[in-house]
Amino acid sequence: MRKRKKSLLKNWRIIFLTLVLIGSIATLVVRPLTYGIDISGGVALIVETEKPVTTDVMNTVVLSLQNRLNTFGVKDITVEAQGNQIILVKVANVSTAEQAQGIKQVIEQQGVFYMEFLGTVFATGKDVEQVFPYKIQDNKWEVPFRISKTAAEKFAELAKGKAGYPVDFFLDVPENSLMVMPKNIYDKMNSTDFNSKVPTAPTLMERVKKAFHITPVVYNNQSADEIIKMAKQLKKERIVLINVNSNVAKQVEEKATAENLTVRTVTQAKGESENALITRVLGLYGPYAVGSGLAEGIPRQDVQIEGSAPDRISAMQEAHTIATVLQTGSLPVKLKVVGMEFISPRLGENFKNQAVYAGIGALIAVLLIVYLHYRNFKIAIPIASTSLFEVIIILGVASLIKWNLDLPSIAGIIAAIGTGVDQQIVITDELLGGKRAGRISKRLGMLRRMGRAFFVILASATTTVVAMSFLLVYFVGSLKGFAVTTILGVLIGIGITRPAYAEIAKYLLAGEK
Amino acid sequence: MAKAKTKANKKKPQSATDNIWQKKQKKLGFLVRMNHKSMIMIPLAIFIIAALLLTVHFPTLGIDLQGGVVVTAYGVNANPDDLAKYVSREIGTQVRVESFSGISQKGVRIYAPVGTDPTTIIKIMRVKYPNAEYTHSEVQPTFGKIAQQQGIKAIIFAFLGMAVVVFLFFRNPVSSSAIVFSALSDMTIALALMSVFGIQLTTATIAALLMLIGYTVDSNILLTTRLLKRKEDTVEDAYLSAVSTGFTMSTTTLGALVVLLLVSTSQVIDSIAVVLIFGLLADFMNTWIFNAGVLRWYILRKDAGRVKK
Repeated sequence: MRKRKKSLLKNWRIIFLTLVLIGSIATLVVRPLTYGIDISGGVALIVETEKPVTTDVMNTVVLSLQNRLNTFGVKDITVEAQGNQIILVKVANVSTAEQAQGIKQVIEQQGVFYMEFLGTVFATGKDVEQVFPYKIQDNKWEVPFRISKTAAEKFAELAKGKAGYPVDFFLDVPENSLMVMPKNIYDKMNSTDFNSKVPTAPTLMERVKKAFHITPVVYNNQSADEIIKMAKQLKKERIVLINVNSNVAKQVEEKATAENLTVRTVTQAKGESENALITRVLGLYGPYAVGSGLAEGIPRQDVQIEGSAPDRISAMQEAHTIATVLQTGSLPVKLKVVGMEFISPRLGENFKNQAVYAGIGALIAVLLIVYLHYRNFKIAIPIASTSLFEVIIILGVASLIKWNLDLPSIAGIIAAIGTGVDQQIVITDELLGGKRAGRISKRLGMLRRMGRAFFVILASATTTVVAMSFLLVYFVGSLKGFAVTTILGVLIGIGITRPAYAEIAKYLLAGEK
Repeated sequence: MAKAKTKANKKKPQSATDNIWQKKQKKLGFLVRMNHKSMIMIPLAIFIIAALLLTVHFPTLGIDLQGGVVVTAYGVNANPDDLAKYVSREIGTQVRVESFSGISQKGVRIYAPVGTDPTTIIKIMRVKYPNAEYTHSEVQPTFGKIAQQQGIKAIIFAFLGMAVVVFLFFRNPVSSSAIVFSALSDMTIALALMSVFGIQLTTATIAALLMLIGYTVDSNILLTTRLLKRKEDTVEDAYLSAVSTGFTMSTTTLGALVVLLLVSTSQVIDSIAVVLIFGLLADFMNTWIFNAGVLRWYILRKDAGRVKK
């Protein structure tokens, strides 16, 4: 008996299962699972371009959406192209339906691009006639582009003799807004930090006040009503709240709709500097200093922006971002939100708990029903615990491949466990049948019985994987998770847990007699 | 059957497992005594009824397949009809309301036509139910069309893929066709039950139907393997042992699915669980009665042919 136990523990299938199991648990500890929007809360949007587009255009659209949503003050955004017409946008941490609706509006509106110099807008997105491929040299980048004749003339006049003065680019700047912010941010915006090489130039705050009718005020615990009243008096269209108490922000959001005001709530992200926050809120790219060649008063249509970054890779990223921003105002296709789903974070948490309870409940159900069928815990416990191991391994792999676990993925895991239990029962019955047949006639040896069981398992696993692969290929959107976890579960089943279970069952059932 | 029992009884120590096994076989014995003609005809008749039902009354399409707006409110306990009247009056558009419940939570879903602003529905609901938790989703009909086409494509290809795999594994036209037909019949009956119980066809339920293919094939392959590659004395013995295994499999999976259904309030998980339950019930009949009938008839004929040679 002891010898058999030893040989069971030395069996490579068991060792493999144990190793994978330990690996999965370790992975889950080191890298906790990430969840989809329907569990973590947030909004998922399906965006369609009005006509199919090329990969290049699609990349530009995706990047410009990313830039624009950043401005909107939301974090944890993924924008992902699927095929040549569909884009999936997922934004986590959206807590109200109004915010979700706001995101939809941003996507459907054309991005608004401005070039501004000392408080005067001299060009819009339409004035950007062409953006040429950017150049990278070591950690320096250049983005050449061509602006319209009128814009070039206007700028030449404005910038005459003003070499080194700041030029600002804005994408989706919150025009005509009341901007409420804490004192430290207010002071930063009014400092010389954004003045390029000329400290005596007007500050960023003065420039945006003049150019875009933005009224910055310091937040010192005004109530929601006071904020709204002020915005109405100043005849503003929108309110931007920066680092404002979240309860007040929520109240402002709820009350503002009735007053025809839109609200943007922006909070400083962890590790985000004050300057980074300010540029994000305003949708500011720059400021860039006017080169001496452009300060001569001669209109030039072909211009370029230059900059440098810590290394070559970030230089490329910066250049790419600027190139995209320049193109945004004249994006070649219109976007339409064709599908949208909003889940509040509290509800998502609820779903997650339910999934955990459901999983535990289902495992107990399996344990009890299997026991009722065999009246033998030596069968019921290994079957239920193998299923548990399988769940742990699927989750471990999910965290390893950074799969965002959403509700369909959880349903997929459950489906995989269902087939898993079925197959374990097939193995068990073949083994028990072998014993029974042994009494009747010794026609079929243990090995061949196992072979028959694994033929059944292999055939059904193959069909499930084939069926689910089509789901993976042909479905856009959320159901991919279902297919992925089902396939994962089936593969882990035939590769790891099923062979190990067969060994354990052989050992335990032989001990029976 | 009788022979097996007397022989087994001669052995003195009888384990509990064996006892249960024999009781189960006794209970399922009625299946063995069924005439294989009626084993084929009854499920066939049910398939035809289900198919006819579907031509008259196909399950309604969910908003993700035909477009529309749905607002879900958790923590609301209300009469759906009254609530529908209230919301319709307030927003000036006709809405449909259905209620649902899980183990700890109740709620309602409000369906409105495309173009309705979900936030206005939520605002109106907040007046009556300020503490409820709201979520909403909306789908444009154009995208619904795309999703429909994808769904149809996915089902057709998955089905063809399944058929090819089954034929490759068995290389026997009769048993393979029986398996493919069982899968078709499972899906048809599940769809018919969905229409009877008012469950919508959504992308989630399409996924469940696809999953059904996996389960169907599981049990059918088990049966086919046990009968065609049988090493037991008689077809009846082999069938009986296979059907006992099948019974254990189906009841276990059904149990797990029922737990899932009871605990969850997520529409995605609930609808997947319900469709799988429908499908598994249909599958029990299609595998253990229909397919078994076909196989027994096939084996009888083959054996008769062998005798002649």
